Amino acid sequence: MSAEFVRIRLEPLSVEVDVPSGALLVSSLADHGIEFPCGGTGLCGGCGVRVLAGSLPITEADRAAFPAKELAAGWRLACQARTHTPLVLECGQWHMDVLTDNAGLTGSGKRGLGIAIDLGTTTIAAQIVDMASGSVLGVETELNPQAHFGSDVMNRVRAALHGDDLTTIVRAALGQTVARLARGREAEIVEVILVGNTVMHHLFSGRSVAPLAAAPFESPYLGTQDFRPEDLGWSLPASCTVRFAHCLGGFVGSDILAGIVATGMVHSDALIALIDLGTNGEIAIGNRHGVVCASTAAGPAFEAGSIRMGMRAATGAISSVSLLAGQLHATVIGDAEPRGLCGSGLVDAVACGLATGAILPSGRVADGSKQFPVAGSVVLYQSDIRELQLAKGAIASGFKLLLKHLGAESPDLQAIHLAGAFGNYVQIESAIRIGLIDAPRSLVHAAGNTALRGAKMLLLAATEPTLPPIEHISLAADPAFQDEFANCMTFPTELNP
Amino acid sequence: MAQSPELYDAILNGNAKKAHAVTQAAIDAGVLPMDLISETMVPAMDEVGRLFEAEEYFVPELLLAGRAMKGAMEILRPLLVAAGQKLAVRVIIGTVKGDLHDIGKNIVASMLEGSGFEVIDLGADVSPESFVAAVKEREPHIVCMSALLTVTMPAMKTTIDALTNAGVRTKVKVLIGGAPVTSQYAKEIGADGYSENASGAVSLVKNLLAVA
Repeated sequence: MSAEFVRIRLEPLSVEVDVPSGALLVSSLADHGIEFPCGGTGLCGGCGVRVLAGSLPITEADRAAFPAKELAAGWRLACQARTHTPLVLECGQWHMDVLTDNAGLTGSGKRGLGIAIDLGTTTIAAQIVDMASGSVLGVETELNPQAHFGSDVMNRVRAALHGDDLTTIVRAALGQTVARLARGREAEIVEVILVGNTVMHHLFSGRSVAPLAAAPFESPYLGTQDFRPEDLGWSLPASCTVRFAHCLGGFVGSDILAGIVATGMVHSDALIALIDLGTNGEIAIGNRHGVVCASTAAGPAFEAGSIRMGMRAATGAISSVSLLAGQLHATVIGDAEPRGLCGSGLVDAVACGLATGAILPSGRVADGSKQFPVAGSVVLYQSDIRELQLAKGAIASGFKLLLKHLGAESPDLQAIHLAGAFGNYVQIESAIRIGLIDAPRSLVHAAGNTALRGAKMLLLAATEPTLPPIEHISLAADPAFQDEFANCMTFPTELNP
Repeated sequence: MAQSPELYDAILNGNAKKAHAVTQAAIDAGVLPMDLISETMVPAMDEVGRLFEAEEYFVPELLLAGRAMKGAMEILRPLLVAAGQKLAVRVIIGTVKGDLHDIGKNIVASMLEGSGFEVIDLGADVSPESFVAAVKEREPHIVCMSALLTVTMPAMKTTIDALTNAGVRTKVKVLIGGAPVTSQYAKEIGADGYSENASGAVSLVKNLLAVA
């Protein structure tokens, strides 16, 4: 008997998909950008969808993930759901603005067209560039199709070690991206460069990720990987070269290498810092004489991933909070009823709570209620503040330890560049208020997608740029790490002027 | 009633310097080390655990309390050894092979020590062979293993298998913990228990030994 299909409409974008009746919704929804942060095991609640029409039975996992009120409102875990009848689902996490790069670049002596790709754990951004002029001719963004196997690099490593093929799907997706960018001008493409973290590098290259699964996390495959288009099944001229730029060590990949190039660290006499505020927060500090870098396990809090009322920057998300005459004032995306907090709203809310004294420097909600009301029905729970403390403690302690390694202090830096989507949207004053960045305000800048910009600079460079020595530091192995991490987990009592 | 309210407060406030000083003062005044442990330190660490469960304390407070408790133990441990006194329960603890994350393990170790158990900390990235050797040599009642990464969790099973193959698995109770670990996983790999947090680990040890 042939399988029957039922139609599911996904709001707010009104996309319709037909799924096999009674099958788990996981794979059909993953194709449309629904993420499964825990890999679809029903543990994290990150793939919540709301039933707008039709009905989905409540599973045991749903009961564990949602309070009764939300269950009644129709919230379910997409990863556990099966349906035999048509549904309309609201996907709050669906919207995703992928950060690309508009910085003007000058061309090189090269001719033809090149493609630069930032292969992120969550998102992919690619641009096609005229090599002679440096101008960008086209942009493509999309979600990394590996998101199906979990949202962070460790879940991807685990899936790959279990025998799942994460190489073919990402090569195929990028092949389509490249084809869309190249359409009508395929013959002119001479070069493609990819940058990404160490796990993305290994998975794209078809290298074993086993060395990345355990300490000392030393892989023999960190070098630049070269491919011919036909190796990848990409429809580009056979003479076109495809290379994935080399990793810096541990989990610090060529996305940070590109960031080091993009921030001008390689030419600067003064020290410059780059902080990529992602799930795996990477930090690099240095100048043309040398760079130190490290990765920190920040977790998903900056993307509001582990926050009870956390959500993507979509309609209903509180994107910023400020104090007006001692009262909290929230800005909600789409001018709608507030439904939750996105990363920038989370950091703002805590910064405001610290300013009013409702949240103590220890992180405790002062009145003992374990809840900090933000706007409407949206509250920050005590455990959410703890999640943010862990995330910002990881970044701040990594930043301090790298500075210590250089014998420098943050005011000695010429600039601190915040890379990545969260770094672009977070209010820098709030980031400083909660102690995420311990530095003078004037030094801190949102830098946008430095990985993509740096990839283009590597692409356009007439010759391979001479890089200063780059040293990878293992923070967990530093005896000072535990104390520094604990110190950095608390919030600053008050702001230095 | 706590023997030394000053030590009790020093531990709760995470003041290592004061904990060290008041412990010395109590000993000089003739308080027995064992009494100081059972009547002051154990209740203090119980209270620290309670405050953590109640979301009043967080990781920094746990680490500071652990440090204060260690400050007191530095004075008491040599006195116990000199008096030939042994703590009733011996625990071996470590983060499993391939995993360098030891903050959670350190908190559990200090909570256990503060609860009056003898704790032998093998550190991080501990191989199954090292666990086996330590069990043979030190003859503990309990072995605790920690892992933070989903990819290093399997080393817990490898270690339990190594204990079995070495013929010492039945001599110890094995407890596991760490962010990705679940009670389901503990059952699957044949561990004797799992705790979500450090104060739970203390209760778990107490319960296991009560029935053992």
